[in-house]
Amino acid sequence: MKAPGLYGYTLAYLLFLYAPIALLPIFAFNDSVVIAFPLSGFTTSWFSAMWEDSSMWQALRNSMIVSGSTAILATVLGLFAARASTRHAFPGKAGIMGLIMLPLVLPEMIVAMSLLVALLAAGLDLSLWTVILGHVLICTPFAVAILTSAFQSLDRSLEEAALDLGETPVSTFRLVILPLVAPGIVASLLICFTVSLDEFIVAYFLAGTEPLLSVYIYGQFRFPSNVPAVMALGTVLVAVSVLLLAAAEYFRRRGIARTGGSAGGGFV
Amino acid sequence: MTDTPMIDLSDVQKYYGDYHALRGITATIRPGEFFSLLGPSGCGKTTLLRTIAGFEEISSGMIRIDGRDMAGVPANRRPTNMVFQSYAIFPHLSVAENVGFGLRRLGLDAAEKTRRIGTALEMVGLAGYGARAAHALSGGQRQRVALARALILKPKVLLLDEPLSALDKKMREQMQVELIKLQRQVGITFILVTHDQEEALVMSDRIAVMFEGEIAQLADPETLYRRPTSRRVAEFIGVMNFLPATIVSEGSGRAALEVQGLGRCEVDAPPGGVASDGGTTVGMRPETLTILYDGQAPTDRSADGTVDEVVYYGDMTYYDVRLDGTDRPVRISMRNVFGRPVLNIKARVRVGWSPGALVLFR
Ligand SMILES: Nc1ncnc2c1ncn2[C@@H]1O[C@H](COP(=O)(O)OP(=O)(O)O)[C@@H](O)[C@H]1O
Ligand SMILES: [Mg+2]
Repeated sequence: MKAPGLYGYTLAYLLFLYAPIALLPIFAFNDSVVIAFPLSGFTTSWFSAMWEDSSMWQALRNSMIVSGSTAILATVLGLFAARASTRHAFPGKAGIMGLIMLPLVLPEMIVAMSLLVALLAAGLDLSLWTVILGHVLICTPFAVAILTSAFQSLDRSLEEAALDLGETPVSTFRLVILPLVAPGIVASLLICFTVSLDEFIVAYFLAGTEPLLSVYIYGQFRFPSNVPAVMALGTVLVAVSVLLLAAAEYFRRRGIARTGGSAGGGFV
Repeated sequence: MTDTPMIDLSDVQKYYGDYHALRGITATIRPGEFFSLLGPSGCGKTTLLRTIAGFEEISSGMIRIDGRDMAGVPANRRPTNMVFQSYAIFPHLSVAENVGFGLRRLGLDAAEKTRRIGTALEMVGLAGYGARAAHALSGGQRQRVALARALILKPKVLLLDEPLSALDKKMREQMQVELIKLQRQVGITFILVTHDQEEALVMSDRIAVMFEGEIAQLADPETLYRRPTSRRVAEFIGVMNFLPATIVSEGSGRAALEVQGLGRCEVDAPPGGVASDGGTTVGMRPETLTILYDGQAPTDRSADGTVDEVVYYGDMTYYDVRLDGTDRPVRISMRNVFGRPVLNIKARVRVGWSPGALVLFR
């Protein structure tokens, strides 16, 4: 780093970005209902309060259903799209791939509103399934991006070699392609799960009467006495998210190394 | 040859969109032959190999393998196996699993599988390497694994796409010899794609020289080297000297010529005759010319000239000699003999030559 000014700027920037997250565990272990300095002592009671909250468990269960289904659906769709875009040329390819990736930059607000209008117009009841629908839309671009990089690092002649040795296209996919892109699939599942778990707007708009974890947490802020327990929950979520993202990156890199490429890009 | 051809290509055409990659390839490849496709990069060698393997559909024409029309037969049901340019070793499998990959569908018991894999590894000199991870192999070893994997199914035809181009020179020369031996041992028809003329000459029974999607000449290495039918083939394979000539008379397969620097002589005319207004070109290889030392009588004819350039190689010396009455030098390769000093630039020399070694181009 040549200029000390730039170094300082970088530091300040990172601090601004991540310091607030550090407040979560600090207040989660602080022995006071009031979220303010100075700290008043160490306690784990907020964690037990969180643990005993049955509505938290209900929201968590809902979120697991939504995020799990979303991860699987988005990854399967991503698999098809990534495969098509890396192996085949077809008319309108650039446009189609662009539209698939669009939700990445589309404001979630717009996705949520338009889906809500469409669902109501279609006469469908809001449920966990409608949230899954919205989340698949948001998560598929992540899956496509990760899986495209997995497919791109896959030498095409590996497939041809398997065909050449007598395997059918289907058994070639199972014996050669799938094992080699498996790390990418795991990475995609983990990322989609995390993105879905953290998502708020679509979850808030489309969930109906079933609260999801993100919506539940937002709701708790209306009751100041519940806030420290939410801090405890947030601390757990941060830890789990970091773990999942690290695992996803590990699998993504391992996949690229396995197929002989060099790791680059990615989200983390 | 009364055998049915192993591969019969008849007017094979291939278009990639508008691009005409194969322009009417017609050739037959004999059973047990070591056949090479030789040509500069981009001439369509790989494309032709891939159409035989079944990875590319042909636009028109016919490919028969062992008498059977291959139209509509996918790659996994053709009696061919391929060694890919990148070797395409499955990175998630061990060496033994790679080599035995093609056996999966044969329904063999484990003992028979192990035995066949062992035999295949032994054949390529990798006995005992079965348990190794594929990604831990050197370039030469990967190539051997690719060979063993392709040969284990005993295909009728083995297709090799520039299999030696990724190896260093020494390894390449060693593998050339090993491949020839292997081919004799297994007796399978080999089709080798290469852009290296030396490699093709060393290894092949016959060579098809390709330019821009067409076969320019198909012949055994010696004929190709000694009797190229076009200047382009002559230039692509080895070094060829060219001298302008005029045709004095032509008839019954012979032509009388007046060659610049060499004088009047009679040579074999190319089939179909020389369709020209009298002006033409003759070619001669550097080793068909000799520099005569003082007092040495020529075995056939001789011409005078001046040494223009001397390139010393230890065992050989290349001389560029400008024959009297010509404006461009010819290259002459001479074996260095004990007791005969290397000549200097500007030395006057007598060059021995023979009309029988001249090639007349259409
Ligand atoms: N899949 C393809 N699509 C379009 N053009 C191709 C394709 N494969 C090869 N070509 C073109 O066909 C020509 C011959 O290619 P190739 O057979 O690979 O040449 P070689 O192996 O002799 O170097 C090249 O000009 C190449 O660009
Ligand atoms: Mg090629």
